[in-house]
Formats: sequence, C-alpha cells, structure tokens
Amino acid sequence: MGSRPESVSVPASRVDAASDPQSAYRAYGPALVRKAERILRSREDATDVVHALFVDLIPKWNRDVDLPYLYRAITNRCLNVVRDRGTRARLLEREQAAAAPVGRVRLEDQVVGVGLIAALAERLDEGHLQVLVCRFVDDMTQEEIALHLRLSRKTIGKRLDRIRDEVIHLRGQEAAS
Amino acid sequence: MIALACIGEPISWLELELFAIGRDDQRIASHVAACPACRHCLDEIRGDLVALPPLVVPQTPVARARAWWSRLVPAIALAAAAVIALVLWRDRAPEAVREDVVVVKGVGEVVLGVVRERGGVIREDVHSFGAGDRWKVVVTCPPSAAASVEVSVTEVGATASDHPLMPARIACGNRIVLPGAFTLTGTRANRVCAHVTSAGGDSGTACVTIAPE
Repeated sequence: MGSRPESVSVPASRVDAASDPQSAYRAYGPALVRKAERILRSREDATDVVHALFVDLIPKWNRDVDLPYLYRAITNRCLNVVRDRGTRARLLEREQAAAAPVGRVRLEDQVVGVGLIAALAERLDEGHLQVLVCRFVDDMTQEEIALHLRLSRKTIGKRLDRIRDEVIHLRGQEAAS
Repeated sequence: MIALACIGEPISWLELELFAIGRDDQRIASHVAACPACRHCLDEIRGDLVALPPLVVPQTPVARARAWWSRLVPAIALAAAAVIALVLWRDRAPEAVREDVVVVKGVGEVVLGVVRERGGVIREDVHSFGAGDRWKVVVTCPPSAAASVEVSVTEVGATASDHPLMPARIACGNRIVLPGAFTLTGTRANRVCAHVTSAGGDSGTACVTIAPE
C-alpha cells in the first residue's frame, strides 16, 4: 500500500506567502490567532482582531509584510483591545474560564494575562507594553526583542527593569489595600 | 496554569511558528528535541486548528487612460460571446462532476484539497508524487459548520485502504488543515478521500487522485 503517516507537519504555505493578502492570511493567520489568543485569552476575540488587521491591510498591502511584521501589528491591536475599558471587563471575565496557558517565561513568578496587562496599561506607555508582550507573552529573549522592535538591547533592558518595578509596586498596593 | 520549565532559554513562540511553517533551523530542531517544554509548545502549534473567517479581497480596477480601441470592446465582447455560445451549443459535453467536492447535509459544500511539500517547496496546485514528498489534506467548508473528517488513501486497483491520518473533528472554514501528514510510495496512482460526517450523522466523500511522476 502506498501511504504512510508522517509525524513532521508540512508547512501550510511558505512560497510567496506575502505575495497577496489572501496567501498571507492563509499562511500566517493561524499563527497570529494563537498569538492574539495568548494575550486576550479568547479565541473568538483573537480571530476578530486578526481578521480586522488583514481587512485594514488589504488596500496598503506590500510584499515586505512578513510574520514578524504581522506579529508587531497584532501586539498593538491587542493592546488597544485591552485598553478599551468595555472590552477589558468582558475579557477579564472570560479569562477566568479560559484554558490555562503554558508558562515558560514568567514576570515576578506570574504568568502575564489580561488582568496584569490591563493594570500595567494604566502605568506604562506603548513602548513598554510592547516589550512586556514580547518578553512575557511571546517568550522572546532580550536580543530577539531588540531585533524585533528595532531597538537597542540596552533600551530593552531598561524597559524590562521599569516593568518589574511597576509589578512590584502594583503588588505592594494590592497588599496594602 | 501549566508550568513547564525550559532546559535553557525558551524558544520564542514566533520562532516556533516560523519553524512550524517550514523554516529550517538546526538550533531550534535540536533544542525542541531535548526540551519537553518547548516541544510541548511546538506540538500545540502543529496540533492546533484555527477556523479563520473568509477574507474578501475587493478587485480594484487599474485606472489608466482609455485607448481608442476600448470603444470597440462591447462589440467585440458581444461577438466573442456569440461565437462561444455557438461552439458550446454545438459541442456540448455532459457537465463534469467534481470528485473533490461533496455536499453533506448539516455541513454544506465541502471541498477537498491536498498540499505537497517537496524539498521545502510547497505546492497546492499539483496532484503528482515522487519519492520523499509529504502531503497534507486541507478541507474547505462553510464557516458556521463543523464536521468529522476521516481520510483514506487507496492505491488504484487495490481493495484495502490506508488511514494515514487520525480522524479529526474540525470547525469549518477556508482551507482548514487536517492534523498530520503522510507520504505516498509505489508506482500506481492513489486516491485520497475524505469521508465527511455532520453532527447529525449525514455523510459524504470527496476524493482527489494523486498520480506518480
């Protein structure tokens, strides 16, 4: 008989993935949904965010669009969703019921979720929040983050220090109240 | 929370995603082979099925100055249509039945497709195999539906079938990739069929034939 199972997954699409929005959507959409879901802890919201991103990108599509670029774009979109107080309440409610994520990189012994991102969004600017997501949601090293965000490693280190300070400060406030 | 400790510096999700869609990286391959935490994450990616809503890309006409002959276009089109209609009327063949499409009650129209990977090159438009090619099965069905899909592979002329992929339950969408992959060997064509069953128990089968080169 002529077929046998193969344990190695075949790439969904690699050739010319960014040649047009449809191909990129097919090739990278699932990866982006998974990434958005790690931030939002809701697949439904994650799918909506990814779909909306591609709809907006269609008129200004160019061949430089790749997965790292889309990763950055999805981070920004998800941060906007978390900042929106209306959606945030719904996401926090859902987070309790969502499947527990895998925690490989933790921030002060805590897995970063919607609640912590939302609390830090009140205290940190966009640049710090991007680093927060890269390090503690996407599990990137400092070097990778520097390349990914086109910043110096020193800047990344400073931002991570500031993030840790804010988390410690938040914990102090929680303990006091 | 599932706490999994990496044996060193965790491979980021972005790198795992790029690796999963085919980027060749020996560093990641060896790390994943040794690290249960990162392997778990990679397995999660490979085993995940994401139902994406369809993306509608509008066709935008290219604006350019009208050529003098463009005024003749309607007349030429009309004449061409008349010729085509005449040819079709005279030489009408019975309507071709698409083997790769099946309509299942409770699911809707299901289109079966295959993806071939050869030496790192992915093709979605070929139905011929050589040694070492890897194949995946993709299914397109209306996004609101769900279905169970069982894949069988039968060599032409053979009576028994292989079931190289685990039966999968999918949320429908555009080109949903079934988990797992398989290779084809031998010198005869193979029929790859997806037996699709709805929640209500209705079923149908769509097939594609993959011939040896």
